[in-house]
Amino acid sequence: MPARIVPVPKTPRESYNPDRRASSLLRAQILHLYEALKWHVAEAQALMAINPRRLRTEREVSEYARRVSRVLHPHAAKRQGK
Amino acid sequence: MANDKVKHIVVLMMENRSFDHMLGALRAKNPKIAGLTGNESNPDTNGTLVKVQASAQFQGQLENDPDHHFPGVDLQVFGGAQGEGRVANMQGFVKSYFTQANDVNRSHAIMNYFTPDQLPVLTELAMEFAVFNGWFSSIPGPTICNRAFAHYGTSFGQVGMDIFYLLDPILSIYERMVNAGRTSKIYYYDQQSSTMEVVNLLKNEPQVFATFDQFLADCKSGSLPQYSFVEPCYNDHPGDDGGQILASDQHPDHDIREGERFIATVFNAIRTNPDLWQSTALLIVYDEHGGLYDHVVPPSCTPDGYVAQPADTGTGMPFAFDRLGIRVPAILVSPWIQRGTVVPGAEDPAQGRIFEHASIPATVTGQFLPNFDQNNKRTVREKGAATFLDLLTDQMRPDDDCIVFNL
Repeated sequence: MPARIVPVPKTPRESYNPDRRASSLLRAQILHLYEALKWHVAEAQALMAINPRRLRTEREVSEYARRVSRVLHPHAAKRQGK
Repeated sequence: MANDKVKHIVVLMMENRSFDHMLGALRAKNPKIAGLTGNESNPDTNGTLVKVQASAQFQGQLENDPDHHFPGVDLQVFGGAQGEGRVANMQGFVKSYFTQANDVNRSHAIMNYFTPDQLPVLTELAMEFAVFNGWFSSIPGPTICNRAFAHYGTSFGQVGMDIFYLLDPILSIYERMVNAGRTSKIYYYDQQSSTMEVVNLLKNEPQVFATFDQFLADCKSGSLPQYSFVEPCYNDHPGDDGGQILASDQHPDHDIREGERFIATVFNAIRTNPDLWQSTALLIVYDEHGGLYDHVVPPSCTPDGYVAQPADTGTGMPFAFDRLGIRVPAILVSPWIQRGTVVPGAEDPAQGRIFEHASIPATVTGQFLPNFDQNNKRTVREKGAATFLDLLTDQMRPDDDCIVFNL
């Protein structure tokens, strides 16, 4: 016997209302996002203050690249050293 | 002790609905479910008793968002009583909702509940798998602090929506997993909806985030992480193709039906991959009650070591995190759970078990991180929280004994 299939009703199109007043939750969410963004801006400003031509060692270059990559591509996975 | 049947835990956390509002009517189907008798009532601001009614609407009835901030919930739980020795009686819900619109008739809507035929997805899952009679929000307050308990086992002393910074060595469950070489993700719906699990995690652990499309792809390819936390869509917005994307979080006044479809989508994504289905425990839970009526008095709990000051609680009294918030719907899904399982709660002093959102990191840590340093990096509250994988039995239900949703 196949599994019992339960029908799920569709939501009416008229339920959609992007002009609905935002709840206190959504207004708090954007404050949190703003706060998180401040860190990215501060980090980007700190990195822009570094002259990359002055970096000499692989340690310095890799640390700089790590910080820039973290801003530009934050989803990169961490890798363990050998 | 780890459960060797479980390779994945998935938590779907919805928004702002109480147990009685969503599942209270199921008592008529199964008397073990601690729902409504139909005689529960609250006084309105005129002193008239307002009974619970099966008159909840999918949308449009709660346009004025019911109060669910700390002082509002205090009024709901204690009925307006103040001072030492007051007794929780769950008699202040209608009075509280009156404060949102100053309309006596509208304030009665807070006592409305859904019938099972209105919520086919939640009803089927509750009747087919395990429903918790005693899962409570962690704090008698709003979203952000309650969700923090699901991630950290504490809100670090917060009882509101404020931004907070971590001063203590308590790691989120995602950091614990990643640091131990385990896999974990927070799947938010899309960029327009984004995540509620922001400042600390987004700043410090951006690699743990992915979108819901990725969740669906990971389910299909069998590459789901060991622990996944899924967020619904929090707002109505245009899709990239210009179409309509509706909020699916069920926060008032979003259409309940879209949340039903989202729950069914998450369920089907797991259900239709046979290997994933038999190795996954899916918990569907709501972050807090959203100001909606529930008849069960929140129990006391182990304090987490913090105290919120009167200026923060807004009640004139400190709060020592020694009492849980209001009861919320919670359902555990797995083919290893027998049909019609009801986990007793506060109504059964002998057998009842109390769960709250700290039960989530407690369960995930117990399952995947047996060597985690329990002394320094978890709160006493989380260490004492009930875990839920023991609800899985040794008997797996055959495939044709488990439902599938047709979307």
